Amino acid sequence: MNFKQNSEDTLRVIIVGHVDHGKSTLIGKLLSDLNQIQEEKINDIKKICKTRGLKFEWAFLLDALKTERDQGITIDTTQIFFRSDRRNYVFIDAPGHKEFLKNMITGATSAQLAILIIDGLEGIQEQTKRHVFLLSLLGIKDVIVVINKMDLINYDKNKFADLEAQISKYLKSINIKITAIIPISAWNGDNIVRKKTLRWYKGKVLLEVLDQFKDNAVDHGMPLRFVVQDIYKISEKRILVGRVESGKLKKKSKYVISPSNTKVSIKSFEIWPKSTKNEYVTGECIGLELNEKIFVEKGNVLSEITRSPSLTNTFEARIFWFSNQRLRINKKYKIKINTTDYEIIFSKIKKIINIDDLTEKKNDDVEKNNVADVLIDSESILCIDNFELVNNTGKFSVIDQFEVVGGGVVKSASKSELIDSHIRINENVKSEDFFVNEIDRVLKVGHRPGILWLTGLSGSGKSTIAKEVEKKLFLKGYNIFSLDGDNLRQGLNRDLDFMPESRVENIRRTAEVASLFVSAGFIVLISLISPYKVDRNKARAIRPEVFKEIFIKASIEECEKRDVKGLYAKARSGRIKNFTGITAPYEEPNKPELIIDTEKNGILECSKMLEKFVEKEFGKK
Amino acid sequence: MDHLTKLENESIFILRQAYSSIKNIAMLWSLGKDSNVMVWLAFKAFLGKIPFPLVHVDTKKKFKEMYAFRDKYEKLWNLNLILGDCPPISKIDPSLPPAARSAARKTEGLKKILNEKKFKGIIAGIRRDEQNTRAKERFFSPRDETGKWDVKNQPAELWNSFNTEYPSNVHLRIHPLLSWTEIDIWRYIKRENIPIVDLYFAQNGKRYRSLGDKDITKPVESNASTLDEIIKELQNTKTSERSGRLMDKEEENIFEKLRSKGYM
Ligand SMILES: Nc1nc2c(ncn2[C@@H]2O[C@H](COP(=O)(O)OP(=O)(O)O)[C@@H](O)[C@H]2O)c(=O)[nH]1
Repeated sequence: MNFKQNSEDTLRVIIVGHVDHGKSTLIGKLLSDLNQIQEEKINDIKKICKTRGLKFEWAFLLDALKTERDQGITIDTTQIFFRSDRRNYVFIDAPGHKEFLKNMITGATSAQLAILIIDGLEGIQEQTKRHVFLLSLLGIKDVIVVINKMDLINYDKNKFADLEAQISKYLKSINIKITAIIPISAWNGDNIVRKKTLRWYKGKVLLEVLDQFKDNAVDHGMPLRFVVQDIYKISEKRILVGRVESGKLKKKSKYVISPSNTKVSIKSFEIWPKSTKNEYVTGECIGLELNEKIFVEKGNVLSEITRSPSLTNTFEARIFWFSNQRLRINKKYKIKINTTDYEIIFSKIKKIINIDDLTEKKNDDVEKNNVADVLIDSESILCIDNFELVNNTGKFSVIDQFEVVGGGVVKSASKSELIDSHIRINENVKSEDFFVNEIDRVLKVGHRPGILWLTGLSGSGKSTIAKEVEKKLFLKGYNIFSLDGDNLRQGLNRDLDFMPESRVENIRRTAEVASLFVSAGFIVLISLISPYKVDRNKARAIRPEVFKEIFIKASIEECEKRDVKGLYAKARSGRIKNFTGITAPYEEPNKPELIIDTEKNGILECSKMLEKFVEKEFGKK
Repeated sequence: MDHLTKLENESIFILRQAYSSIKNIAMLWSLGKDSNVMVWLAFKAFLGKIPFPLVHVDTKKKFKEMYAFRDKYEKLWNLNLILGDCPPISKIDPSLPPAARSAARKTEGLKKILNEKKFKGIIAGIRRDEQNTRAKERFFSPRDETGKWDVKNQPAELWNSFNTEYPSNVHLRIHPLLSWTEIDIWRYIKRENIPIVDLYFAQNGKRYRSLGDKDITKPVESNASTLDEIIKELQNTKTSERSGRLMDKEEENIFEKLRSKGYM
């Protein structure tokens, strides 16, 4: 086949395999056969081997650190640059030792293709499997297998076929596509650049396979994800800078910003020295100005209206762990995703895969070098995707204090339980319809708008706390308003009774009113029993970015004892039907943003808690 | 997307990420070709105005052409330039070989300005292909107050997610050009028409491939007097870029030694 030289193209290849199976020798030989090792380097290696009394070892080309040379192990990944007639290459040499897993993964996350090297004499070893398993997890789907040291097994066809069968079966089981399997001798340079005449192998040599490899990570038809990295204010313009992580961004289209679910359009692209295009594609870092003056933050995602990311604060992930400390359930960690940090907890470990032997375990601790499926809860709403669907917005690293302790990919970000999946466009903040818009109001009052949804049994203390906090924050200059379920029922919701369908409608209307208040720049306190999870989740979906669920907690016994309005007595005697806690259920929130226990704390303490929370979440920073 | 555009975007992403997550940050401007490319990328990242200072740690032993270049472009590019000075050679570890000792002065100069200005991030234009130990660098590389590089325990850097949370005695070295090679730099200089010091172009059969201090940098044999000729020369060369740097040859691990003490 004939390929045009295209020196512009670069392929990033990671090379993995068990220790001593010949990675360094392969790289050294490849470079030297391509005539690309500087003479001074070869001389350096000769000198180094001589002072150490060794035969010529290519490992010294790559192992740059003194300890690496002295101990004969690769500690950290290194990258080697070279070129063939066809294209440029970056080879990433990853350490084989398991202590240096994090370095191997660091190298692998930037690769497009992998070469797996297997010693023909020793066959498949522990790290052979471990490495490719991790590659598959990291999203590398193409692997070239080379069976090395064929010179030591007399270029034996049967031994090769045996290994071929074994490794093919394994790679297939972990969903990896084999680009080619090649018998080589790195030491002799057989089937690397130069063909070795073998009666039984008529395939390509390694260099041909590399040169002809096409990265299939095509972006055609992928949904748009533009992740906001920062906001610059340059001469009156508010410019959102960020990178197109997937799909295409076009000047003319209508988009939606998540998580606020606001419809937007692009006024101009901001590029230095000037923008010359009407369309930007995956990988491009750009700036843009929107027509709408809306609230946007780092980590927000711009997408097509019908194909937006998942908005959720709970999701399942597959993680890898390389900290010496085991993972702790319910401890606060941070994840870094879409250029931003989010506080999270791991709420559940579903299963653990020990990558040393690939056995699976349930109900166990996640320790160093484990891979695990976990559930993650975040404090704020994340805009993420399943890794399988949109790579770039579905991968993250985990940080504990000052250390990167692991990383992972989003397995399932479906949020059916939490947030309505169909996107809702917030028509209330379209600036072409209104003279004053949300952002202006925010700038004027100096705090952000928000919804504090107080749920809890009748008599738990919702209204009392709300009134207290409203007063306090009003005096501090906040635009704050308290919406009370009982009051609403006397006006707007007068037509509704207490049957489940009416409760749904009651909540819907209340949430819509709250949303209007938010558009007006207010913080709204809502006191509403709202006993059903599904309804509260619907309320959340209307303005997920500012919605905070506050569980006002008190036992039914305590509330009945308080019975401020005499309602429990009436319910007991049957004079009120469908009374929450007595004749109708109350579903406690799973993961409220805040729990205020009014049995354990006095009313002042409780109000203080909420007041602080509001200031932290929405107040001036 | 072509190769240079990919590199350009990666660098812009890194620069923006550094600026948005590190408070007190500055960029090293050594006046060489790489750091001019870096300044150019900063113009792209920040849309025409660099929002942090540039630092030139001046050994006072640079070529006069370099000083002239600095003065011209400080004005033309409207840079917020801070000059740092270096201690006299007598204050530097005498056990080092001569050229390395001279290079170590710059490290001390850098540490001094870091301490004075309390920078939490320093953007430096090193590349992986320059030198074996630089090939192991991270994009965001933490150093303690002594500038020590703990190469055996570098942080994981997954995808483009960079950790910027460290204890207060730590500063970060940010390396936006890490993935570039020498020839990429030249092709980009040509594509973008980026100004560089004339010393890179051959005169009387010699040119500088890399610019350091006058006394420890030597020109290489070359007739390449235009950008195209330089690019062509590099396509065929087998000698390394730093071959004109004397310190690299003094000891097997001299570079590692200097770097572990805070050299770039
Ligand atoms: N006979 C023979 N020896 C080899 C071959 N490839 C590598 N070796 C030797 O195997 C040893 C380990 O190789 P090296 O490349 O350092 O392995 P790495 O740990 O995977 O980088 C060295 O002593 C090499 O010289 C080969 O194809 N044939």
